[in-house]
Amino acid sequence: MSRTLVAATRRVLGSRRRGDRAAASPPAGAGDAALVADLVEAIGSDRVRADTASRYLASRDASIYREGNAGPVCYPGSTSDVVACVQVAARHGRAVSPRGAGTGLAGGAAPLGQPVVLAMTRMDKLLGVDLDNGVAWVQPGMVNLDLSRALAPHGVHYAPDPSSQAACTIGGNVANNSGGPHCLAYGVTSAHVVAVEVVLSDGSVVTLGDLTAEPAGYDLRGAFVGSEGMCGIATAVAVRLTRNPPAVRTMLLCFDDVSDAAATVSAIIAAGIVPAAIEMMDQRCVTAVEDFAQAGYPKDAAAVLLVEVDGPAGGVAIASEKVAGIARRNQAISVRTAADEDERARLWKGRKSAFGAVANVMPDYYLHDTVVPRTRLVEVLERIYEIVDRYDLIVLNVFHAGDGNLHPILAYDSRVPGTDERVHAAGREIIEMSLDMGGALTGEHGIGVEKREHMNRMFSAVDLDQQSRLRASFDPHCRMNPGKVLPSAHSCSDIGALRAADAAGVWG
Amino acid sequence: MHLGLDDDELVACVSCGLCLPHCPTFVITGSDTESPRGRIALMRAVQNEGAPVTEDLIRSMETCVQCRGCETACPSAVPFGHLMEGTRAALADAGRITPRWQRLALRMLRHRRLLLAGSTLLALAIRLRLVPTKRLGLPARMPLRRPRLRTSGDDVWLFTGCVMDAWQRDVHLAVQRVLEAAGAGVEPTGGVAPCCGALHIHAGLESETKAMARQVMAGLSGDDRPILVDAAGCGASLKDYGHLLGTDEARAFSDRVYDVHEWLAERLDELQSRRPVAPLKLTVAVQDPCHLRHVQRAHHAVPAVLLPFVAEVVALDDDGLCCGAGGAYSVMEPELSRAIRERKTAAVVRSGASVVASANPGCSLHLAAAGLEVRHPLELVDQALSASRS
Repeated sequence: MSRTLVAATRRVLGSRRRGDRAAASPPAGAGDAALVADLVEAIGSDRVRADTASRYLASRDASIYREGNAGPVCYPGSTSDVVACVQVAARHGRAVSPRGAGTGLAGGAAPLGQPVVLAMTRMDKLLGVDLDNGVAWVQPGMVNLDLSRALAPHGVHYAPDPSSQAACTIGGNVANNSGGPHCLAYGVTSAHVVAVEVVLSDGSVVTLGDLTAEPAGYDLRGAFVGSEGMCGIATAVAVRLTRNPPAVRTMLLCFDDVSDAAATVSAIIAAGIVPAAIEMMDQRCVTAVEDFAQAGYPKDAAAVLLVEVDGPAGGVAIASEKVAGIARRNQAISVRTAADEDERARLWKGRKSAFGAVANVMPDYYLHDTVVPRTRLVEVLERIYEIVDRYDLIVLNVFHAGDGNLHPILAYDSRVPGTDERVHAAGREIIEMSLDMGGALTGEHGIGVEKREHMNRMFSAVDLDQQSRLRASFDPHCRMNPGKVLPSAHSCSDIGALRAADAAGVWG
Repeated sequence: MHLGLDDDELVACVSCGLCLPHCPTFVITGSDTESPRGRIALMRAVQNEGAPVTEDLIRSMETCVQCRGCETACPSAVPFGHLMEGTRAALADAGRITPRWQRLALRMLRHRRLLLAGSTLLALAIRLRLVPTKRLGLPARMPLRRPRLRTSGDDVWLFTGCVMDAWQRDVHLAVQRVLEAAGAGVEPTGGVAPCCGALHIHAGLESETKAMARQVMAGLSGDDRPILVDAAGCGASLKDYGHLLGTDEARAFSDRVYDVHEWLAERLDELQSRRPVAPLKLTVAVQDPCHLRHVQRAHHAVPAVLLPFVAEVVALDDDGLCCGAGGAYSVMEPELSRAIRERKTAAVVRSGASVVASANPGCSLHLAAAGLEVRHPLELVDQALSASRS
């Protein structure tokens, strides 16, 4: 590892000497030698990388945003490492951007202005399980699914289960207030985070929230969850433990018509049933995932619903009978119940690999995350198909039907000239239409940089100013993950923290 | 630099990150430079965006074990193995990886007599304590003499390969006895097909691998006997000749190749019908070699074949994560390789098994070097069969 660093330092130094472009504008990373040296001294050479390959890859997440530009990448192993990095960055007048697994879909982890990137992946331990209080303390780099696996021997789990749960980290979940299929019944991340240890921009360590049921004072924990890394770096998270339900039944309902599926969703909720999850996929999506998941989804159905009910065995039996009845009354062409855990796992594997499977259709995708009133689902879906047809694009619909959180995936090939423009125009129309229907900009993926400029459409100038002030009360110098969420006009102070990034990117 | 990668294969990654927990190097370093998604992004940067091929970028490619665990995790079926082989071929052609001494060493694998003689010398040197076996990841003891290969019929070929034949011929003989117990007449390939070329393609020596593939195919042509392979890495390599050479002949050849467990799983009745066999009183953990699980996708055959012959078969709880052996990887990247192995040995300890069954010689040497008791699955079957024979 130290050899890597030596090579990296050489590269940084070497790139100074290279070519005339270097003379015109300093290549990315040049001039960082002192910063890198201080970071190495603070946390050790095996925890700092400043080479171009590392910085190039730390500049991006799973979104299509490609303008990120990372400075040195640090891999802290403890809260004190994080404190040290934040202090060194502050001394050098540099911002800090945290990063989990980089599975975010809105560019939230894409660093702007060459900040010091804190990759939290090595802080991935389960710190302790407190069954009496029903909480576990975990480090932010722990993978969501690893947490539930580690908790399994205690008969409990961590309820929020984003589709990317096999890879995404708890820290990223906290930053984005992530949801997931099972959040319909159990609530999103903020309902499952009891307290957070946070390193603030001045290097101080605070704990927001506590383990008591009614904490005194303002709910700063609530303000922090979903703040996309702009209020501080979470270094330990106390998560609520959820008892594993005694019985679970997972059903696959197939329909010839998308509107029948949507009507079924409304009817299930209207009947007073609260399933653990109700997910919908349209035909194109089913086709994309089935070959990988081998879940037995019918490729000829116009839409499928994945409905899961859980709780005491008696209640589960009654609820699932009711769901099946409602589906049949709404013209379901088939109703299948998973016979065993293996079949259930495959049904969920199909749903949770939907985004990743898009390349089976097209090599690129642009995803929206709007939330619309459930009663208008059919109308919204028809409008989405209409918009997409007009722009001659392909859409795959997969979404949390139970709470109206849409994920229209615009699949395209950016190699075809002019496609990017059409995709963005269609995306904008989908967002505006969703907002016009009384919806919200994002359900669970965050605003990041991708959805930033749409904030003006959703919030008034007063709203945005207040949000900016809330953020500044945590981070007065706007050094934590600057440039995200708030539209540029409302995040002026961020601009100071954003160094003029070299247009050539990390390769210099 | 153009890496010569297929553009459609290269764009197929949408960067979702579902491969990350299945990449043995990412779970150690937590850095995208050591992840499948990151490596693909770097390949794209080089081939499509003209990014310079820096030393760090090369490191990112060299640290890949080529286990292909990312392929089974990928919802979009990105052919990562082919992309990595193509990248290494381009880097090797440009003289950026696989230095001359490595090429010479790899070339030796094709020359069977030289290899066997060299192995005997090495075995001797080890006995005389002239070689730091631990540091080099070599077995603490190697055979000075090898029992002769013998032909018992012409139903199937048993592919014997290079290093495995030189270092672990005992395993081949045990496998042959099991096949014979299932009623098959076996002809070991020996010098007819000296080496499959798996290590060569991993090192980026594409044209050399192609020549070796043609040599193997020529040696085993003339009939359509099944070619059974008891080394997962070789099996995966032979099964890929169709893709490597792109000819009908190569595709037909690859169709004849079976992992030996895959073939035996269909013939368990024959294996058990001859006489009652008492299972060995052992709890065995099955280690899935990556090229059996992620490439051939035939790993379920191993516990199926093993089950009747041992007291208990346990699966490891690590989602089939690589053990870090990776052919020559354990020698080329000892530090990472050992860190990866520690996770595997921890999984073995958790399983409570006393013996590990591994169907690949590289994995078995690597795990044995960590102090585990490792046997080829069919050695255990052979032991159970011969115990009931006596």
